Amino acid sequence: MGRSECGHPREFEASPRVRAALWLAGTALGLSLSLSAEAATTLKLVEVITSPERTETLKSIVKTFEDANPDVRIEITSLPWGPSFEKLATMVAAGDTPDVVEMPDVWLALYANNGALESLEPYLKTWQHTGELNQRALQLGRVVGYTAYMLPYGFYLRALYYNKKLFAAAGVSAPPRTLDEFVAVAKKVSSLPGKYGYCLRGGAGGVNAWMMFGALANGSDVFFKADGSSTFTDAGWIKGFSALADMYKSGLAPKDSVNWGYNDIIAGFYSGTCAMIENDPDALIAIAERMKPDEYGIAPWIKGPSGKSFPTIGYTGWSMFANSKHKDLAWKLIATLDGVPGNLVWNRRIGALPIYTAAAKDPLYADARFKAWFDELNDPDVAPMVMPVDLRAWALFASSIVPRTSQSLLLGQITAPEMAQQWAQVMTKAKQSQK
Amino acid sequence: MGAGHDQSETEPEVSAVGRRLATGAEPYFYTAPALLLIIAVMLVPLSVGLSYAFRDIQLLDPFSGGFVGFDHFRELKADRNFRAALLNTLIWTGASVALQFIFGLILALLLNREFPGRRLVQALVFLPWAVPTFLVGLDWAWLFNPVVGPLPGWLFALKITHDTNNLLAAPGTALIGPIVASIWWGIPFFAITNLAALQSIPKDLYEAASIDGASVFKQFRSITLPLLAPTLAITILLRTVWVANFADLIVVMTNGGPADSTQTVASYIFTVAFRRLDFGYASSIAAVLLILLFIYALAILSLRRLIMQRQS
Amino acid sequence: MTIRMLRRILYWCSHYLLIGLYVLFALFPLFWLIKVALTPNDLLYSEGIRLWPSRTSLEHFRFVLAHSEFPLFFRNSLIVSSGTAVSVTLISGVGGYGLSRFSFRGKPLLVALMLITQMFPLVMLVAPMFRLFAPLGLTNSLTGLVIVYTAFNAPFATFLMQSFFDAIPKELEEAAMIDGATRFGAFRRIILPLTLPGIAATGGFVFTAAWSELLFALMLNSSSQASTFPVGLLSFVSKFSVDFGQMMAAGVLALIPACLFFLAIQRYLVRGLTAGAVKG
Repeated sequence: MGRSECGHPREFEASPRVRAALWLAGTALGLSLSLSAEAATTLKLVEVITSPERTETLKSIVKTFEDANPDVRIEITSLPWGPSFEKLATMVAAGDTPDVVEMPDVWLALYANNGALESLEPYLKTWQHTGELNQRALQLGRVVGYTAYMLPYGFYLRALYYNKKLFAAAGVSAPPRTLDEFVAVAKKVSSLPGKYGYCLRGGAGGVNAWMMFGALANGSDVFFKADGSSTFTDAGWIKGFSALADMYKSGLAPKDSVNWGYNDIIAGFYSGTCAMIENDPDALIAIAERMKPDEYGIAPWIKGPSGKSFPTIGYTGWSMFANSKHKDLAWKLIATLDGVPGNLVWNRRIGALPIYTAAAKDPLYADARFKAWFDELNDPDVAPMVMPVDLRAWALFASSIVPRTSQSLLLGQITAPEMAQQWAQVMTKAKQSQK
Repeated sequence: MGAGHDQSETEPEVSAVGRRLATGAEPYFYTAPALLLIIAVMLVPLSVGLSYAFRDIQLLDPFSGGFVGFDHFRELKADRNFRAALLNTLIWTGASVALQFIFGLILALLLNREFPGRRLVQALVFLPWAVPTFLVGLDWAWLFNPVVGPLPGWLFALKITHDTNNLLAAPGTALIGPIVASIWWGIPFFAITNLAALQSIPKDLYEAASIDGASVFKQFRSITLPLLAPTLAITILLRTVWVANFADLIVVMTNGGPADSTQTVASYIFTVAFRRLDFGYASSIAAVLLILLFIYALAILSLRRLIMQRQS
Repeated sequence: MTIRMLRRILYWCSHYLLIGLYVLFALFPLFWLIKVALTPNDLLYSEGIRLWPSRTSLEHFRFVLAHSEFPLFFRNSLIVSSGTAVSVTLISGVGGYGLSRFSFRGKPLLVALMLITQMFPLVMLVAPMFRLFAPLGLTNSLTGLVIVYTAFNAPFATFLMQSFFDAIPKELEEAAMIDGATRFGAFRRIILPLTLPGIAATGGFVFTAAWSELLFALMLNSSSQASTFPVGLLSFVSKFSVDFGQMMAAGVLALIPACLFFLAIQRYLVRGLTAGAVKG
């Protein structure tokens, strides 16, 4: 290009260099177009109980799916565990919904009752593995409206973890089997300087413990009478609540456990501060990393005066959003995640109990440490207790009302009957308005 | 600037009018970028957020959204939790801001003098501000924890507390933790802004005053304070607003507990919004907080204008 | 003579004592962060109260650098924070000058609007902002964060700059304008250099505010490609491993640029202004 004598530029003439550049650009454009045509569909998958190890396992299972379906790409979003509830709620409220999401039982009612989730029933009808699922899997997946809005991938059942070293130091020979034994053992351990018997979860997520102690003192885990009113004001429940509160008040649990959440009780346990916690198999992962096998043991949860035990059972699974544009593909993804090879790989990593009847025979679960849970599942006097997660108000009750009121009880600001009364009011309203 | 002086002589009227328009619009040119950005990015969502206060917005319920008028505000008037949170907010904000302001000002005065090692000291004492609040909360929660932190043991040894329990676990003392953390984090803010303002006070004012025989205190009161006043007003105002509005430290250290003893209005809004999922009610609480803070801001700004008028 | 010397010794002693206390108070929690970051996992609780662990280990730092996506988060934070600092300084520089030099009809309204944006809890802004940004493609992007941070920090920065400009007499640029310069020219060539400490302070504040911001970084961005390091710190609190050691290590690593930044602007804060010479 140059300027003619009178100052006006000459007509555009592509120099060889410019031509080469244009050719390269064209090729690149063509290539990229053809490449994107290959990865035609992208599915969005969101996990909410994130940890680095979990994400790696998830990615490996997802990869088997991508290999089997070469024109599909899965975009995994891992939400940090702490604020995952708020984050997912914000995304969904703003319309940024994934295709498949990891759905904890506590959140199910909130999303399913608002029509956000797709029913998996039609897919389950034709799925080859549906018959291999154990009873509980389908039953719990259908907790909302008797429709499967999620397919569980595993169960979390509470059992009793105890510190063998502390027991030995306190002169306790065996884990407690009843409520009275529990309190007695806790007293013995607490007499050691700086040690406590029980790691109380006074903060977020403590509702399960209150329910467990309440139910075993009550001899029954029925939450509602036929008319939908709550049973919390029954003497049995109140006895259980008082027993737990009294343990804190008499110093059998650390003073600042009134604020403790999940991480704090696990840390309290493996640091040897308190000797007993009740928790799920996935706590084993964190504990096994920090404690030697001969330092801790796992026993079935204690039984109440009626001879029955009610460890809570929770579950998490996979759900599909109703506004997904690739429902069949999304189901295929869920089927892979929850299918026979995928589910076992997943549960091996996250430590949940299996959804397949046959999987109980997997070598993972033959490990001595899982014995306690399988004993519980096989014991007729043990009735795993399902929380009323079908209630829309349960999430608020569990995450906000229970910590606040139970802390008031622990601190002596209110009495157990008063707390039970407040809980009953909230629960009754929740149940009756849901009808 | 530009072409020769022929232009201005040949078209005087147009250029003069143009110049007057230009000078009239001049302030808007300078402030336009900030204004436009703030309107677009903050005020639009803010008005949407405020409008929720008059509607029933349940976060996950796509069918909610109906207009409810002042219902939320009526509910708020009778809400005991809100009143408790308001009281906590006053204590939390008042104690935090007052203490970090005082300590920050003292630090600025100390740093205003040249001494060997000043640059190093300055760099060190400003570090807390660089730590994200979430990490600050965790760090201080650990410091107060009797199992992993030194503070309970020291406080007990110094006879300040009568046991080695965690301050954060008792309703009467729980708020102390976040307050201390907030002070630690906020001192650099006041120190830096006051130091920069102190440096702009002409040194010869002090020289003249000491020649006249004024004591250090008198110089401080009659020279330093009045000249610092504009900066003080703005920084105190903004810091108060931020502390009142930010729940991070409290949420991380105590989660509003135990038994809501550290629940402030900001953390209460969070609870209502993201646990009860009731954005309408949460927004009405936020609106009330907004009004209270606005009144406070007006008070401070009028005070500032008074001081500046008295100066001139 | 001796009394005055005594007074001076007393003054400097108390001066250094106070300075020492401040430094101790500021550094102790940071020292604790480092201490936890260097404590191996098995000693974290058993030696919790000790001032220094019996055995130190770099395992946490190694893990953070090698296994997590921390380097990526670090880079993202750097981009977002520098971008925010630059844009805020530009916008609030001119904005603060405008507020300082002019009194115009819209001024009270402008100030009021700026203040109001600071008074509404950010939690409530997240949802409407998400809905506003999503169709514009500004969610899951670093640019979106820069825009939000700039808008949020602009009011404070503008007020701060205004107070620094207030300390410089108007006569300075008016003198230059009489000599034929434009206001903007005078602003650029005369006023700005005098407020370098103020600009540095404002830039420093904004950088660290953007560096440590968590709420919007968490809520507006989901993919790890667009996550900043505070969000990355959260990932160390998972249900499996309560990895405080790693989190503290990541925190320590992330403090380094903030510290360096502050070190860099110290020089400007120390330099005095020459405005006093004009007044006198």
